[in-house]
Amino acid sequence: MPHHMKKLAILLLFGSILTACTPTAEPVAFGEDMCAHCKMTIVDEPFAAEAVSQKGKVYKFDAIECMVEFLKIKQSDQMALTLVRDYENPKEWQDATQCNYLISKDLPSPMGAGLSAWLSKENAEAMKAEKGGEVYDWEGLKQQFN
Amino acid sequence: MFRWILISTLMLAGQAVLLANTFRVCKTCPASSVREAIRQARPCDTIFVETGIYKEGNILIDKELTLIGNGRPVLDGEGKTEIVTIAANHVHFEGFVIKNVGTSYSEDRAGIRVKEASDFYVKNCRVENAFFGIYLQKSKNGIIEGNEVVGEAKDEVSSGNAIHLWYCNNVLIINNKTIGHRDGIYLEFVNFSTVQGNFSERNVRYGLHFMFSNDDIYRGNTFYNNGAGVAVMYSKRIGMFANEFKNNWGPAAYGLLLKEIHDGQIEGNTFQENTVGIFAETSNRIVYSKNQFIQNGWALKISGGCQMNNLTNNNFIGNSFDLAVHSAGTDNKFDGNFWSDYAGYDLDHNGIGDVPHRPMKLFSYVVSKTPESLVLLRSLFVDILNFSEKVSPIFTPENVVDNQPLLKTVDSQRWTVDNDTAPVHPLSSTVNR
Repeated sequence: MPHHMKKLAILLLFGSILTACTPTAEPVAFGEDMCAHCKMTIVDEPFAAEAVSQKGKVYKFDAIECMVEFLKIKQSDQMALTLVRDYENPKEWQDATQCNYLISKDLPSPMGAGLSAWLSKENAEAMKAEKGGEVYDWEGLKQQFN
Repeated sequence: MFRWILISTLMLAGQAVLLANTFRVCKTCPASSVREAIRQARPCDTIFVETGIYKEGNILIDKELTLIGNGRPVLDGEGKTEIVTIAANHVHFEGFVIKNVGTSYSEDRAGIRVKEASDFYVKNCRVENAFFGIYLQKSKNGIIEGNEVVGEAKDEVSSGNAIHLWYCNNVLIINNKTIGHRDGIYLEFVNFSTVQGNFSERNVRYGLHFMFSNDDIYRGNTFYNNGAGVAVMYSKRIGMFANEFKNNWGPAAYGLLLKEIHDGQIEGNTFQENTVGIFAETSNRIVYSKNQFIQNGWALKISGGCQMNNLTNNNFIGNSFDLAVHSAGTDNKFDGNFWSDYAGYDLDHNGIGDVPHRPMKLFSYVVSKTPESLVLLRSLFVDILNFSEKVSPIFTPENVVDNQPLLKTVDSQRWTVDNDTAPVHPLSSTVNR
């Protein structure tokens, strides 16, 4: 084997190891995966959430309130990604820090907080006008759970 | 004087009965639609709906009425709307087939919704192909009896619960069948209610699910082949009696999941052929007695801060692991159970083994740390491992021990719901029905 090939092989090997450790989001197997915080089976698309640690460990949640509670306990574990789903487009992950959050008793979420995530602040406010409640940003939301 | 009052009251009552009308709904009747009959009816009237298919969209019952289906008339929502909405007190709704509720992500549509009402009675209906089957919201003092709610939850995401209660009080859910939904029966913020004699099968998540609900009982129900049997979460004083938890297999499957449950009672239940019979986390002061744990992977897993639980008079028969305890709690009691793999003796013939039994095997501890090691389960190596730990326990918690293991099984007289000996929840008698 030529010398440079060997180098390449080693590079590739290291590369694959490195990518294995890069924190990446995983899809949720609805109806099978269990919430890392409350142990419930995850079934409700709009409310699913996920956190990925710096080391690439994936934690999945059935509700945003579960993730917020979990992050409070696991503060030592630095999270590389915190992901939620936009209530209006529940098929894709969104960066949790960039979303708006509606807490409304009349928009039930899986763990009783009435908490939903919204990309559009305008639409969150519109839903609030209809159902009542309060809109927060990510930092404001975490305050609510302290 | 008193007699006069009595007589005039009786006469008034008689008049009320005479004043109440009955309506018939059929294709050739004066009222050819259910909606029309409801519009014409006055409170306390009765509407008989004859057999046929009625496609009327949403039917709102906003008066005290009795609606009875003769020969199972069908109310078909054609996949577009919620079908029946009960929004008045004292509504009796019986004998209908309700089908084709539209799925919507923005609203939880139901086959039958009871909305902020009291004293309702929904009986002998069949709900097919619905997003949510029967949905009770902010309602109280009602009965849901003998209904069948059958869904086709192929896709778990697009399926709601078969019977769903949200902010309700004093409801009796009895002898219903719930099949193929997300949860068979779901209770959130529901107090002083009873779930009895129901059958839940092939639901994607749980057969029965309690969230933030207190002072409820469920008894004599069967949970078969659901994603997991029953989840009781964040609730207090729940009585769980004489239920059957069978055949719940899978990595996230339990017969019974307990999470933050306080002062519960689990008595006379059968846990058979589940991956885990009971999984308990942060659950305190629970009495487990007279239960049968038969051929489960794990009969009972106790983890994370469970304290002051008392496990007594249960039968553990042929489970791969009887007990796995990962809890710092020191005051749990495990005395007086029957363990089929107890290997001690009883020289004084008092029915109690002379040697204490340690129901938690070392291998159970190993598997919890490294699940892959489960493939070694039936190997000689593991037998030696377990034996050495039994002789001198190092890894397994010292206080997980039955000091009075039984030599014979606890009398497994089957519990039946109408059996007088079936325990009544101590708090249920204080509620006015």
